[in-house]
Amino acid sequence: MDAVQPLPRAIETLERIILGKPEQIRLCLACLLARGHLLIEDVPGVGKTTLAHALAHVLGLAWQRVQFTSDLLPADIIGVSVFDRATQQFHFRKGPVFTQLLLADEVNRASPRTQSALLEAMEERQVSADGTTYRLPEPFFVIATQNPHEQIGTFPLPESQLDRFLMRVTLGYPDAVHERELLRNGERRELLARLPPVLGPEAIVDIQRAVREVHVSDALLDYVQALTERTRTRTDLRLGLSPRAAQGLIRAAQAWAHLQGRSAVLPEDVQAVFPSVVAHRLERRDAADASGHAVADEILKAVPVPL
Amino acid sequence: MTPRASESNASRPVAWMCAAFAAGALLHVDRVPLWASVVALGACAWRYAAACRPLQLPGKYQRAALAIALLIAVLATFRTLNGLAAGSALLVVMGAVKTLETHRRRDRFIVIGAALFLLLAACLDRQSLLRAPLYLLHVWLCCTALAVTAHPKQGLDDRAAIALAGRCLLYALPLALLLFVTFPRLPGAFWALPRQDEAVTGLSDTMSPGSITQLSESSDPAFRVWFEGDPPPPEERYWRGPVLYDFDGYTWRRRRFVNFVETPLEFEGPAYRYRISLEPHFNYWWFVLDTVKEPPQGPARVRITPDRQLVSAAPVFEPTTYEAVSHTRTRALGPLSTLARRASTALPPNRNPRTLALARSLRERAGSDEAYVEAVLTLFRTGGFEYTLTPPRLDFDSVDDFLFNTRQGFCGHYASAFVTLMRAAGVPARVVTGYLGGEWNPVGGYYIVRQADAHAWSEVWLEGRGWTRVDPTAVVAPDRLRRGIIDLLETGSAPARIIRRTPWLARVSQSWDAVNAWWNTRVIGFDFRTQLDLLGRLGIEATDWRPLGWLLAGGLTAWVLWIGWRLGRSPAPAPVDRLARAYARLCARLARAGAPRAPHQGPLAYAEALCAANPELGARTRPLLERYAELRYGGTAGNEYEMKVTAFERDVARLKVR
Repeated sequence: MDAVQPLPRAIETLERIILGKPEQIRLCLACLLARGHLLIEDVPGVGKTTLAHALAHVLGLAWQRVQFTSDLLPADIIGVSVFDRATQQFHFRKGPVFTQLLLADEVNRASPRTQSALLEAMEERQVSADGTTYRLPEPFFVIATQNPHEQIGTFPLPESQLDRFLMRVTLGYPDAVHERELLRNGERRELLARLPPVLGPEAIVDIQRAVREVHVSDALLDYVQALTERTRTRTDLRLGLSPRAAQGLIRAAQAWAHLQGRSAVLPEDVQAVFPSVVAHRLERRDAADASGHAVADEILKAVPVPL
Repeated sequence: MTPRASESNASRPVAWMCAAFAAGALLHVDRVPLWASVVALGACAWRYAAACRPLQLPGKYQRAALAIALLIAVLATFRTLNGLAAGSALLVVMGAVKTLETHRRRDRFIVIGAALFLLLAACLDRQSLLRAPLYLLHVWLCCTALAVTAHPKQGLDDRAAIALAGRCLLYALPLALLLFVTFPRLPGAFWALPRQDEAVTGLSDTMSPGSITQLSESSDPAFRVWFEGDPPPPEERYWRGPVLYDFDGYTWRRRRFVNFVETPLEFEGPAYRYRISLEPHFNYWWFVLDTVKEPPQGPARVRITPDRQLVSAAPVFEPTTYEAVSHTRTRALGPLSTLARRASTALPPNRNPRTLALARSLRERAGSDEAYVEAVLTLFRTGGFEYTLTPPRLDFDSVDDFLFNTRQGFCGHYASAFVTLMRAAGVPARVVTGYLGGEWNPVGGYYIVRQADAHAWSEVWLEGRGWTRVDPTAVVAPDRLRRGIIDLLETGSAPARIIRRTPWLARVSQSWDAVNAWWNTRVIGFDFRTQLDLLGRLGIEATDWRPLGWLLAGGLTAWVLWIGWRLGRSPAPAPVDRLARAYARLCARLARAGAPRAPHQGPLAYAEALCAANPELGARTRPLLERYAELRYGGTAGNEYEMKVTAFERDVARLKVR
């Protein structure tokens, strides 16, 4: 399949920029190929923004970056109608959301009103202003970053909003070998400028189509349903997975299977994407453990793969 | 096609239901009238055909008419609906009508239930060892039909259903054993059935030597005897049955109510203790070694009649085991009562005149009763008499005809003639029927007495000695005492003789008989007394059924807990399709080789783990696991898929794990 060929190159390029995080790179790619939006969450300085930049660059998409702050207004993202004196008419000036890839840096710093404007655009893939609906370009991705540890002056995304992100990926500190390399070679973003883009919008749309073709058998649906059921019956969780989350899980697993060069989804593919897809949707009642990853792993261990 | 129609025509569950019911009807094929079996099989065939192709089933009114007609037919055949045979026939034909109105799943359950009832009736009817495998197969068949019918998915294929039913039966086995051992078998059980419709087999309580021209050579067992210690010598192995007093010149009859008092006896010689396992013969008497001293211990009500027969309160419908003590020699301690003397000297007037004349002249010449007995025996020895099992038919005055014309006969003829001669001379005498001899079975350590060993002899009252056994047959054919009838007669073509002459066949036959004896005494004959003995061996002194009840309750609780634990331990339902079963087999074999699959591991993750733990095994197993992943999660397509699954099954079977 010719669409597969550029993918290994894209992964290889990304691995040269983001050192020692092959799994996270693949997860991010899988998220985007599954037509999902991506939330990168971690402490500052581990390369969230670099990863977002690298993704935008390697995918070869037109991209815009918005630094979210508490005084950011919805119009700053969506656009605004301005009065044109020459034509004596109101004229809609499109905001930064009209792009193929939107980088929303520190998304939790904006007011809930602004957040919801962005999240609505993410879900609908269109923007309504002054009674007119404007379609967003295709493909359209949002890569948002946030710092979970900053508390003052932030507005944490509620679960309903988090649900709009297909995956939440955490980077974590690099290991010793790769940190040494980082320290020696300096800023990674300079490297970025020298590398050519690997994919383009058409190639991405093709791959997305191929991802949708990846076979999902009844046996696999049994497994996904068993996993979903398990999240709903656990008493220590506030909420179980929604059907939308289960759909997203299957799409993400399809993308992962495609990245592995398979034409059918296996339970292993579901297991690979499961923590990233469900961790931000599952919240413990006691809230002692902020990360849902542990819960996700427990659920994976507890649910047998049907024969 | 409407959903209801598609449900009613799902041919596989219908086929299983029909098979279960037809097999149930076949269990009764030799007990119910032929037309009832034909109706049952025909209905099953019709129902199955209707499920496979467009064929009309009878409508409501036709079914009702059929049911009424069959009910009338059963009533006309048996003249009752009571009793096992009539009940079975009714169940067979009504179940057959029911198969014709099975549209929904519920109906199929009812028909399978009827099939199970047929099995129950068959078990009540006959419990021989040969039929046990048939019953087992039938219950398996019924359970399979239930599994196919009850399974929520139509996907349970035949092999899986058979396996599921087998597994369920295995789970039920401990419960069955528990109930067998501990369910209190109270005497006079409420499930005892009215059996008046049975045919009477074996020894009867009348004897008409003149009417028989061919004596049975049946090698069916009559009973088996285990002696405690040494057995009596062969010439003393007389097994006492009905005593016949009343003679009308042609037929000897047993007296139903013996109204005379018993003369007290003194028992002489060694006491023989023995246990008898009696085959069902549907009559009241129990056979014992002549002469029995005390009635057997046990729950059944048995008494010793004044003429030393053992008579039970209920007919022997099933194998019965009892113990008794006998002495082969006795002496009367008093005179014969008047009533008894009258009963044992009576002869029909104006019958057998030549015999009466002969008796009078012989008695006159002999000085005493003893000498007269000798004289008659000498007559038999030297008078040209011949022992045969195929005697000519006798005249109306049967004794005259036998003594003066034919001079050919078997035990019955000689006993009848001897007693008539005695009574004609005023010597009290009676005919005793029973069995003589018995064949040693070295495998089981017992003597088997067969129907062919049936015998008749006489007893005369001699003053000072009391009732004395005289066997005139022994005078004519002395070998009859030492050898069985089958040995004695060189003519004829009884297969029993062939078996007897071939040592290994004889061995097989004896082993088979020993197994049958075990079945009859240990399984069928497992009664309340055996249960109490068993409790005693467990250290529980019990006199009533209460300890058994506690044991039963405890065992039941243990079984329920065990089943609960089994079910709780395996939450995953059994794999239902071939691919899953093959994969489960593969995983089980790898687990035995020390590399179990974690439940949450997918096939490829399992392959990775295997390669890491055991590279050699992993390398050989990985292709199989990859094929499974492809078959299970890849696109499935009809015939080719089935072939691939078959190949996968084969390769799993071929994989060498060690």
